[in-house]
Amino acid sequence: MSAEPPPTSVRTFPPSAAESANAPSEAPQLGYARAINQALGEEMRRDERVWMLGQDVGKMGGVFGVTRGLFDEFGAARVRDTTLNETFIVGAAAGAAITGTIPVAELQFADFMLIAGDEVFHKMAKWRYMHGGKLSVPMVLRLPTGVLGGVGAEHSQSLEVLGMHFPGLKVVLPATPADAKGLLKTAIRDPNPVLFFEHKGMYRTKGPVPEDPEFLVPFGEAAVRRQGTDATVVATGLMVPRALEAAEKLAAEGIELEVIDPRTLVPLDMETIVASVERTGRAIVVHEAVRTAGPGAEIAARIQEAAFFALDAPVWRLGALDTSIPQSPDLEQLVIPSAAQIEAAARELVAI
Amino acid sequence: MELDLYREVSRIRALELLLNRHIEEHGFGGFWHPGLGQEAIQAGAVSALRRDDYLFYAHRGLGYALAKGMSPVTLLADLFGRSGGSVGGKGGGTVHFVDPELGVLGQGGTVGSSFVLGAGAGISAQMLGTDQVVAIFFGDGAAARGTWHEAALTASVWKLPLVWICENNGWAISVPIAEQSPTENIADRAAAYGVPGVVVDGQDAVAVREATEEAVARARAGEGPTLIEAKTLRIRGHFEGDKQAYREDAGDGLEVPRDPLKILRERVPAEQADRLDAEAKAEAEAALEQVLAMPPGDPGVITDGVWV
Repeated sequence: MSAEPPPTSVRTFPPSAAESANAPSEAPQLGYARAINQALGEEMRRDERVWMLGQDVGKMGGVFGVTRGLFDEFGAARVRDTTLNETFIVGAAAGAAITGTIPVAELQFADFMLIAGDEVFHKMAKWRYMHGGKLSVPMVLRLPTGVLGGVGAEHSQSLEVLGMHFPGLKVVLPATPADAKGLLKTAIRDPNPVLFFEHKGMYRTKGPVPEDPEFLVPFGEAAVRRQGTDATVVATGLMVPRALEAAEKLAAEGIELEVIDPRTLVPLDMETIVASVERTGRAIVVHEAVRTAGPGAEIAARIQEAAFFALDAPVWRLGALDTSIPQSPDLEQLVIPSAAQIEAAARELVAI
Repeated sequence: MELDLYREVSRIRALELLLNRHIEEHGFGGFWHPGLGQEAIQAGAVSALRRDDYLFYAHRGLGYALAKGMSPVTLLADLFGRSGGSVGGKGGGTVHFVDPELGVLGQGGTVGSSFVLGAGAGISAQMLGTDQVVAIFFGDGAAARGTWHEAALTASVWKLPLVWICENNGWAISVPIAEQSPTENIADRAAAYGVPGVVVDGQDAVAVREATEEAVARARAGEGPTLIEAKTLRIRGHFEGDKQAYREDAGDGLEVPRDPLKILRERVPAEQADRLDAEAKAEAEAALEQVLAMPPGDPGVITDGVWV
């Protein structure tokens, strides 16, 4: 616990632009998948250079139904069903991006970007760099990520850290329907290639989503999901609602967690994170990715580099176990951090 | 037409000879994959393209980009890592020449990666209705990549405006084509994707040009891709310095059997050919001299171009 814990959090700094970009609560309720669909439709209506490709994204509307209805509105030329061919999906998107159109490519599962590894990590990430900055690669690669319930070791991984390790790729992980929409629209308008990790376990999560076609969530601005004074929890994707659940439990004990959702890992808003840690003195990074060499390792390292003398305890990381994800829907939940584990870890950290 | 082709083949040849000699005498910091003897394919095919058509070149030589209109000074500056190169001094060895104005879209370091990118450029052209065609060069080695099959499958269904030009020089680094292909012709593979597969004499620039013209016309008319296989020879090693110990038929690295320049020379007046040869030699020498006087890439460029 910090020395003078107020009963409730009091903001000592003006609200960030990131917070003001959060959806107003009076906006209509929409599911996370529908919010993505809305972003795609709006951007394709706004700019006829925007188009989509992927397996079954056409008449079927995608294996998760995210692109439903877009084929009917925009036709087969702009909503292109491909063969089972990730190399083509990503590589053709990159080739189209350098020649004047703006592709939004969908892989059915984020794991499949490893099949197109050369196209993602060399072509998307480096084509501009290798060619002296004379070409740009304005494309978005949509990557359904995370555990879903029984889809197994090759369809459940959280691989966002790979994007952080290849300069040239922006990395986005929305945790709310509003962010899913606002971040995807920003991604489509960004002149750089973007890896858009959408959590397939959150597709049905509902929340307020603004209808304004100019609603954009900027990259590199973390959202403070909950204010607190005793420890900073940096959480991404599915771990955001779990961290908030843990925080509510701990609040009953008088422990106030500040929950920060970076929303984009590249660029990463360390300013907001460090400012929070300087006030709380404690930090824990939580993600669904494997703990070893996960994004949390980088974030934790940067926290201690920037705020070492403000820390009252080591920076902790919670992540998936160093194992593959078992196919069993019951067992898979034991691999990734639960709200109860976040709660227990935060309680222990605050007691140090 | 023959005279124009002769000029291009001669310009490419002059650069090849000059580079090979320079590297032998002075060494070289990077890797150079000589294209000596393959000039007719590069000049012939590119001459069938429009200025705004897209080009994904291969790694054997500078001829593709030179024929598309890039300056030899720029290309050599890229090769020698000098500041005046098209990638601003970041190049070196067989590099990523680029010129968006001329449709020169670059090259990946992973051989065979242009197939899928090229298909994407074809999609842009198709969607934007620009009438552009995409030429994608590759070797017999790269023909093994899954990326060709993956691109060919969808490009043929979508009738993308592509021309694949395979420079079959018989060697994928150290392995001869007979050990890599169950069929004599790589062009046979086109049949699986329902597109024309054409075999052409890669030493005859006119024949290459005519085959490419037909393929380009087909692509521009919305009828889809064509695979052209141009049979040629690898005169020198995979890279400059490769002793080719694996190869019993290796020549002296200088003599070009069925020399494309000599084949063309029979079709143009001798005095004009002589003049073009002299101009080409002078152009290459002046370019090299200019480039060697340029400063190397500034360290400031290292982090340029990561982001827009």
